[in-house]
Amino acid sequence: MFRIRFSFVLFTTFVLLLGAVVLAQDAPQPLGITEFEPCQPFDNVTVTVVGDAGHNLAPYDFWKDDFAAMGITIEIVEVPFADVYQKLKTEFVGQTGAFDVVTFYPAYIGDFASNGYLLPLDEFMAREPAAVWDPHQDDVLAPFRELYNKFGGQTYALTIDGDVLVLMYRQDLFDNADEQAAFKEKYGKDLMPPETWDDWLQVAEFFTRKAGDTLAGETLTEDFYGASEFAKRSFSYAWFMNRAASAGVVYFDENMNPRINEPGAVAGLQNMMDTLKFAPPDVLNSGYDELRDLFIQGRTAMVVQWTDVPKKAADPTQSKIAGKVGVGRVPGTEVNGEVVHRSMMPVGRVVAVAADSDVPEAAYCVAKHIAYNRSLEDVSTSLTGLDPYRQSHLDHPEAFAALMGEENAAAYLAGLNQALADGFPDIFIPGSAQYQDALDLEVNRALSGEITAQEALDNVAAKWNEITDTLGRENQVAVWQQALESYRALGLIE
Amino acid sequence: MALLFVLPAVLLLLSLTIYPLIRTLALSVVQLELSVSPNEKFVGLTNFIKVLTGDSRFWNAMGNTAVLVVVGVAIQLVLGMTLALMAQQMGRGRTIWVTLFLIPIMIAPVVSGFQFRVIFNDTFGPLNYIIEKLTNGVIQPPAWTANPDTSLLTIMMTDVWQWAPFMMLLILAGLESISPELLEAAKVDGANAWQLFWRIKLPLLMSVIIIGLLIRMMDTFKTFDLVVLLTNGGPGDSSETIAYYTYLNGFQFFSMGYTAAMAFIQLIVIIIISRVFLSIQKRQRGADE
Repeated sequence: MFRIRFSFVLFTTFVLLLGAVVLAQDAPQPLGITEFEPCQPFDNVTVTVVGDAGHNLAPYDFWKDDFAAMGITIEIVEVPFADVYQKLKTEFVGQTGAFDVVTFYPAYIGDFASNGYLLPLDEFMAREPAAVWDPHQDDVLAPFRELYNKFGGQTYALTIDGDVLVLMYRQDLFDNADEQAAFKEKYGKDLMPPETWDDWLQVAEFFTRKAGDTLAGETLTEDFYGASEFAKRSFSYAWFMNRAASAGVVYFDENMNPRINEPGAVAGLQNMMDTLKFAPPDVLNSGYDELRDLFIQGRTAMVVQWTDVPKKAADPTQSKIAGKVGVGRVPGTEVNGEVVHRSMMPVGRVVAVAADSDVPEAAYCVAKHIAYNRSLEDVSTSLTGLDPYRQSHLDHPEAFAALMGEENAAAYLAGLNQALADGFPDIFIPGSAQYQDALDLEVNRALSGEITAQEALDNVAAKWNEITDTLGRENQVAVWQQALESYRALGLIE
Repeated sequence: MALLFVLPAVLLLLSLTIYPLIRTLALSVVQLELSVSPNEKFVGLTNFIKVLTGDSRFWNAMGNTAVLVVVGVAIQLVLGMTLALMAQQMGRGRTIWVTLFLIPIMIAPVVSGFQFRVIFNDTFGPLNYIIEKLTNGVIQPPAWTANPDTSLLTIMMTDVWQWAPFMMLLILAGLESISPELLEAAKVDGANAWQLFWRIKLPLLMSVIIIGLLIRMMDTFKTFDLVVLLTNGGPGDSSETIAYYTYLNGFQFFSMGYTAAMAFIQLIVIIIISRVFLSIQKRQRGADE
């Protein structure tokens, strides 16, 4: 009997403790900066939201009272990060009507919109009163609005996560007088965050030190690396495209002939391959987690990473370099005497209303509430991985001050502002997964030393032609030409 | 009346096994690119020809899978046999021994994949740290998962860690079923331990070993989760298995016709392997009788 009682007490204590831990997960407080009016109450409708599992779905929980006031109950379906496309596509093809609001990576907008899986949002957006219906798309930064929200001139999705890559570096090392002097002596120029990819290699070489060497006046107990790369299969293509796009390379020409093996792209891949000499030995299996940890544990001088990493680097509970981080533009390439910078925008998240939703109006209200009404609160907390994507986000450093201090917040947003201005998109036409996989595989083969940069990119060009032929060249060219219009509108090509 | 009794089973079999098989076969002769259109176009044997003659990545993945199946399962057999023989010699500690070795089997592959991802990590993982400490830095271990020469090996090592105990369990059960009188008689006739193993135990264990190999080979042929967790098929395509490549084509590229053809080719390979093993077992059983 005592045993049963003891077990019961133990179990109850465990449940209470678990409950306390769950309740301790805070939600951001309304900032009162964004002006909006909620949708008129619906008659107790349920809106099913799907997205990648984890903290990026947290806003639906943060604002559940808001939704309740609108007469909306939110039901969340969590899908593993890598399975979002597969899950959505399967449900869309099966016309199951399982979801009302879908969260996905905008690389798939061409696929989803052109196949009629999404509802155009223009009609909702134009409704009156504007305070209720207008998601203020003019406030969304142009690359996200034009490339990731629209397809064929219509708006199908609203951005909720402004993923873009930025340069992060150890400000304290760049500011160190001894290091500055040593750099000047070795290279004959001032030590500063790299402006070009050639500079990047020099700085990476300079800061690469062995255990026992001195770095900024301190003796190293373990090896220190000048730079590292996302070189694992999945997104290594994006780190390569930072370089290729800055050399003026776009994926295809007007007729979808691949441009990916042009000299600028080959030089870019070679630069990435050369960087690996100054990176940890396991760099070829380095993804988001490894790259983030390497940086925030103080093992490398520079990385290019997503914009949520500076927020983590600023948090002393998980970072050894809090207060020592600089954020800047991803390095560029000198073209005609001018340095051109391009920051890839891999992943990102948008929300859209499924075409077969039974409650499209309520679904739109939910999407708009997350994408506009409460977006500043959601991007300025460390409780989500969502990053800024609106001008209004960049204009309010005070919203980020609680997280990283006013000075750091201002520097972070300034760096972000520049990176976003340099934004360069993923391939977002139908078949994007195939095109990206082919590029990623060959980039990875080159990085592992299996083939040369030229061979790798020639292979990509051949594979891309094969994919285009399989998917139907005529249609693909037509869709690509629409995409190029967006590129032109943003000044990414002439 | 008898027909009515078997009807539910037949219907279940038809709906769960035969229909998907026929549907896959039907898909394999059409072009169906769901990323651009839901419409199918009949292309005959084009998908099969393309897979077999025009897709080097398919053959690379088949090669990697063959290494895992042949080398990996062979190691599992040798280790399993060794562990089972050791267990058989044990007295009291045997239950604990067997229970400890059962733990890896109970762990989900996704968890073991994650464990080994940490273990193999060059910067933060314990394996390379221990090797360097033990050898005083003389041996510089590789970055296991990040090296094209060792990435497939990491998948194999994880699979061996998880499934060698399964072979141990199977072989131990086989060893237990061997009549002690038979072994005693051989000993009386002057057989030493080595001869007991080669002449008595191993021949009598052959049926069990063949079943074990068949199960493990079929299972290893489908290795997917460890690839995703440990290497994503990289660096390059050095650790891409056929199951992973099929997944990419089916559920990332949504090239359904092509994927169906690929799946059918794999099915044929597995059927051939099974037939070979089952015929060996049949011959073995005939010899025993």
